[in-house]
Amino acid sequence: MTLRPRRLRAALAGALWLAWPAAHPAADESAAIGRLLFFDPSLSASGRLSCAGCHNPKRAFAPDNALAVQRGGADGRRAGLRAVPSLAYVLPRTPAWHQPRASSQSERLLENDSEPAGGFGWDGRFDTLRAQAAFPLFDPAEMANANIDDFAARLRRAPYAGRLRALCGAAFEDAAALGACALAALEQFELQDPAFHPFSSKYDRVLDGKAAFTAQEARGKRLFDDPRRGNCASCHDDTPGADGSHPLFTDFRFAALGVPRNPEIPANADAAYFDLGLCGPLRHDRTGDRPSCGLFKTPGLRNVATRRAFFHNGRFHTLREALRFYSERDGRPAKWYPRAADGTLDLFDDLPRDLRGNVDRSDEPLTRKAGDPPVFSEAELDDLEAFLNTLTDGYQGTAP
Amino acid sequence: MASTHRISLLGGLLFGLVLGGCAGATASDPPPAARAPAIGHVFVIVLENQDFASSFGPDSRAPYLSRTLPAQGALLRQYYATGHASLDNYIAMISGQAASPQTRADCQYYADFKSTGTTADGQAIGDGCVYPASVKTLADQLAAAGLRWKGYMEDMGNDPARESATCGHPRLGDKDLTHTAQAPSAAVPAGDQYATRHNPFVYFHSIVDSPACAANVVNLRLLPQDLQSADTTANFNFITPNLCNDGHDAPCADRQPGGLVSADRFLQKWVPLITASPAFRKDGLLVVLFDEGGYTLARDAAGRVTLTFKGEFCCAQQPGPNLTAFPQVVQIRPTITLVSQSYGGDRVGAVLLSPLIAPGTVSDVPYNHYSLLRSVEDWFGLGHLGYAAQPEVAAFGKDVFAAQ
Repeated sequence: MTLRPRRLRAALAGALWLAWPAAHPAADESAAIGRLLFFDPSLSASGRLSCAGCHNPKRAFAPDNALAVQRGGADGRRAGLRAVPSLAYVLPRTPAWHQPRASSQSERLLENDSEPAGGFGWDGRFDTLRAQAAFPLFDPAEMANANIDDFAARLRRAPYAGRLRALCGAAFEDAAALGACALAALEQFELQDPAFHPFSSKYDRVLDGKAAFTAQEARGKRLFDDPRRGNCASCHDDTPGADGSHPLFTDFRFAALGVPRNPEIPANADAAYFDLGLCGPLRHDRTGDRPSCGLFKTPGLRNVATRRAFFHNGRFHTLREALRFYSERDGRPAKWYPRAADGTLDLFDDLPRDLRGNVDRSDEPLTRKAGDPPVFSEAELDDLEAFLNTLTDGYQGTAP
Repeated sequence: MASTHRISLLGGLLFGLVLGGCAGATASDPPPAARAPAIGHVFVIVLENQDFASSFGPDSRAPYLSRTLPAQGALLRQYYATGHASLDNYIAMISGQAASPQTRADCQYYADFKSTGTTADGQAIGDGCVYPASVKTLADQLAAAGLRWKGYMEDMGNDPARESATCGHPRLGDKDLTHTAQAPSAAVPAGDQYATRHNPFVYFHSIVDSPACAANVVNLRLLPQDLQSADTTANFNFITPNLCNDGHDAPCADRQPGGLVSADRFLQKWVPLITASPAFRKDGLLVVLFDEGGYTLARDAAGRVTLTFKGEFCCAQQPGPNLTAFPQVVQIRPTITLVSQSYGGDRVGAVLLSPLIAPGTVSDVPYNHYSLLRSVEDWFGLGHLGYAAQPEVAAFGKDVFAAQ
């Protein structure tokens, strides 16, 4: 059987995942080596792109630029397909992909407990960080290792090869096993290193009773929480945990928001190309599941104000634009969507016409009809932004 | 093995019983009071959302439940749930309280029950979820009598950010996030499929405001050590599997099959542990039952769906003071109509195992969740709470125990 490159990468990721035990006996050393791997550009075909090249620690492990999609590959010029997400906070608590269903048909119809959730990536296709990490390492548009032997050769040439040999033991001599060992090390770094979850925002200080919201921030939070207004918290959960743990601002579920098509993504030059999230093209196991098409995983909102590309396709580049989209998507659709050839408004143009019914039009604030006023006034947008700014790490304020 | 079954219905008739009817039938009388059997340790396992035919019929996907266990004890073929959906049934089992609109909707928000009074037959009037401290439960009765009780909740506290490992519930007023099962993650490798709405103890201030809640409502993993001796086993043990193992989900968040398949596996693991315990062998009784029964689903040519809960009941069950009249028709969505013809929970069936029950006993005497409560109260010499005190509600009688 001949595996196409994308399927080969998926198979490799699966094989590497299975080849390495989850509970590695030398987890701390594994995490330390994982840190070296994370920042090492020599692991890419271009020699210029490391994991940190897209996941910059100074930007909450998100890109340090405003590109909708990042560029990589052997020549460093090949564009990706989706905006690079932040790796901060969410990794340890990202559940494996799941879609439980009530066994009772009646409850399936009456309850909302069967929504898909979890998994790593915008489409949740990876159950573990080890499996996820294999994707950029072998993606021709990212680090572009040609195959596992190529990757293993780079590992063996790395300055920390001796430590890697000590960590991996006999696996060091076998390309697949060495790759699995390295991916497990990356995973441990991402799970263990406190830099991924500093909890140092003003919001955290407020929860700890060491700071207070301004009046504007408090108004923003009320809008954020109000199920009849912003309703943001219904997906970007901001409830502290039962043990007092601070919230991550995501429920890890999926939604189709109808974000406009982004011409900045080179792949979108092909009018027949659509990124359908849960049902492809990167994910393959739900291709025919029409209700899943167009759904992308809800990201966490910590440090959202520092992002420069919003939503899965990086369509917006400021927080204000992203908020305004929620506010005016339905009331002023002509502002967001182009005209089709027949002159009609091409609503939800980043999905094929027959799948546009999947876009959420029932949950606030996405329930308006054309001509309705914006959901939020300019002052309310200011309030929401002020609240979301409290989620930025590194708050240096003083006690109230 | 029908020839070995002791069909106690016939025996009951010979004793002059007038069997209780079901919804639409005339009022019924319970079996005559009999001396309570000497039961000192009770175990209750509650499964989810199956009617009798699905669980115990010839095509049941739970052969251990439908065939193996009845052959070891008693099958109550006319056991009825008391409502739809889940929570009102669980609350009925330990308090005798009828449904409120909120408990009938599984309490999406964990909010106080706002009580405006109490009926003459002990029903709290009002709506909400967490009953005031004045509303007592079987746990309160047992504690007052110097007896011990425990609630064993599978998965509770697996994710400490989701709920506490003891007495787990949302904060008052908060949305109940345990309505959705949580899949495994690096931080919570086992996942967390605990559901607050399947844990009745945390819906009573008399319990949650007491240290007894943290001491007694614990994770199921603690049951084996408590079973080591009769002295370490509580007198009343209420066991709730997680959302997968109680059959609620199928498939489950952890990708197990769920439904009756997972429920049967759960029983195959836990029932032998319980029945082999010193407490059970001494004077134990295990009840396996379902919280509520099924429904019918009709789809018309236009794709519109009508879900119908018959809401059948037995034992002259009353609706309680808090529900509007039946039938109730609710348009859930433009294409989905929910019809509740009546307020009962429909026929679910139950299995009882005990050294005091003859293997293969079959009873067709009508019982419901209030009967279960009344039975436990009788075994421990306690008074009757709420609708367990109704004269038409019978404790499990000679039809169950007399054959021994």
